[in-house]
Amino acid sequence: MNIIETFNLCKYYKNKKALDNLNLEVPDGIIFGYLGPNGAGKTTTIRLLLNLAKPTNGYAIIMGENILKSKNYLRKIGFLPDVPNFYNYFTAKEYLKILAEILGVDKKRVDEVLELVDLKNEKKRIGTFSRGMKQRLGIAQTLLHNPKLLILDEPTSALDPQGRKEILDLIKSLKGSKTIFFSTHILSDVEKICDKVAIIKDGKLLLNENVEELKKRYAKRLITIEVDNKDILLEKLKDKPWVINITTHNKSLLLNINNISMAQKEIPKIISENNLSLIHFEFLEPTIEDIFFEVIS
Amino acid sequence: MIWKLMKKELKEFLKTGKIYVLLFSLLFFGISSPIIAKFTPEIIESLVKNQEMQGLIIQLPPPTWKDAFMQFFKNLNQIVFLIIVLLFIGSISEEKNKNTASIFIALGIDRKKWILSKFLFQIIITYTFLLISFIACTYYTYFLFSKFPIQNSLSAMLLYFIYIFFILSLIIFSSSLGNNFIQSAGIFLGIFIIFNLLSIFPNMDPYNPMSLSSLQNEWILKSVIWKDALKNITFTLIYSFILLISGIISFERQEL
Repeated sequence: MNIIETFNLCKYYKNKKALDNLNLEVPDGIIFGYLGPNGAGKTTTIRLLLNLAKPTNGYAIIMGENILKSKNYLRKIGFLPDVPNFYNYFTAKEYLKILAEILGVDKKRVDEVLELVDLKNEKKRIGTFSRGMKQRLGIAQTLLHNPKLLILDEPTSALDPQGRKEILDLIKSLKGSKTIFFSTHILSDVEKICDKVAIIKDGKLLLNENVEELKKRYAKRLITIEVDNKDILLEKLKDKPWVINITTHNKSLLLNINNISMAQKEIPKIISENNLSLIHFEFLEPTIEDIFFEVIS
Repeated sequence: MIWKLMKKELKEFLKTGKIYVLLFSLLFFGISSPIIAKFTPEIIESLVKNQEMQGLIIQLPPPTWKDAFMQFFKNLNQIVFLIIVLLFIGSISEEKNKNTASIFIALGIDRKKWILSKFLFQIIITYTFLLISFIACTYYTYFLFSKFPIQNSLSAMLLYFIYIFFILSLIIFSSSLGNNFIQSAGIFLGIFIIFNLLSIFPNMDPYNPMSLSSLQNEWILKSVIWKDALKNITFTLIYSFILLISGIISFERQEL
């Protein structure tokens, strides 16, 4: 079942198409990576889904509700904007207590979520928080009313490596209990935590697929082999019909092949027949970064 | 929901200390107005003596309760008015500017209720403190002049309440349209100047909220004639509701 489905969702700003007939499907219970370069339309999509802007055309169904007809679904969403801003004069606890009261949430929940993001004992005013702390508070705020869906707009974009790791670990820990819609332009983040990705460029959806299937589909069929005598192996492999090309890297060979099953059968046979010692054998998978650049180009 | 949002406004007002600015300034003018009215002639007299201008004869009529209330309303229409505008003009626009509004709207808080909670909070807090200020002024006026006609002062105060209702509606409208403090202040000032310029045409007075303040003075100095103010009050309230509804409609259509 899809938790978010968009149907020809469009957003025009005067003559500029910020979003062009977006048809997106986000299944329930996964971490969904929404990828795209800056200005691709990621934040516009999120703003449309959250009733912060109105679509020029099209609509979306979120948790079974049409976003043009109902606003009830918003109560089941936790939202973290790309630049989270809070009332700087409150402490984290004071701020979340106010929010809890407005949302009708038990105030005990405030301590729970603050503990989760490691801000329970923080007595300073939000105005003095670092960017990472604000981001963690933002995540606490998204979790306060125990929503079914979290929409996080570039939650790691302005953080240092340590801060990024903390936020990614936090998001990862929520896997299974929530659906997480996670927009970013940091490809390694997606690789680490996402189950499914969509790639958007110039407002157009270029791809919407499971990470594993995507990697299989875009697999370049690369094999790296290291043996004790690479020259013999090179000689035996170079005329095989399933080998496209071979390059040497230090002590290993990098094979670009077009038939995995043939390679799997014949390579061990050649090694055995020529009495070579196998040191390393690996099928190389494409990274999300490889796929991203291939798709957007 | 509106009540919960108003509590949020109150907590913000307390935390930023704005509540104390409004309370103490209103209390100050409530107390100081009768005192200044009472002692102004004596102060001027002593100044003349000190400046060695004994030859100069200054004749001032003995101060009355009317001077105390005239002074009070003068302060309300000038300094207090400015304080109210400065305190509230960024209430919506700054939340848009700093992106704090989008968090609430994305959580499904109704935009109409969000604005109305701000307006109602501003009305309640301003009216409460104005009332405290009025009571202080009344007490000190009675204490210093041993007299004050309740009908005149209370009626004039009611006119000021209606005027403030208009000003707060204009603040909500300006703050809803503007994207930051400066823009909202500019919109407010523009509309305020237009209404003030209308005062040039005396036949427009019954339709101009700005002439409520001259009526206040008349009611203090002479007598209360509600009939004279009826048209003015009606039109002020009509403008207020138009501004308030326009502010809400504008905010509902805005992208955050």
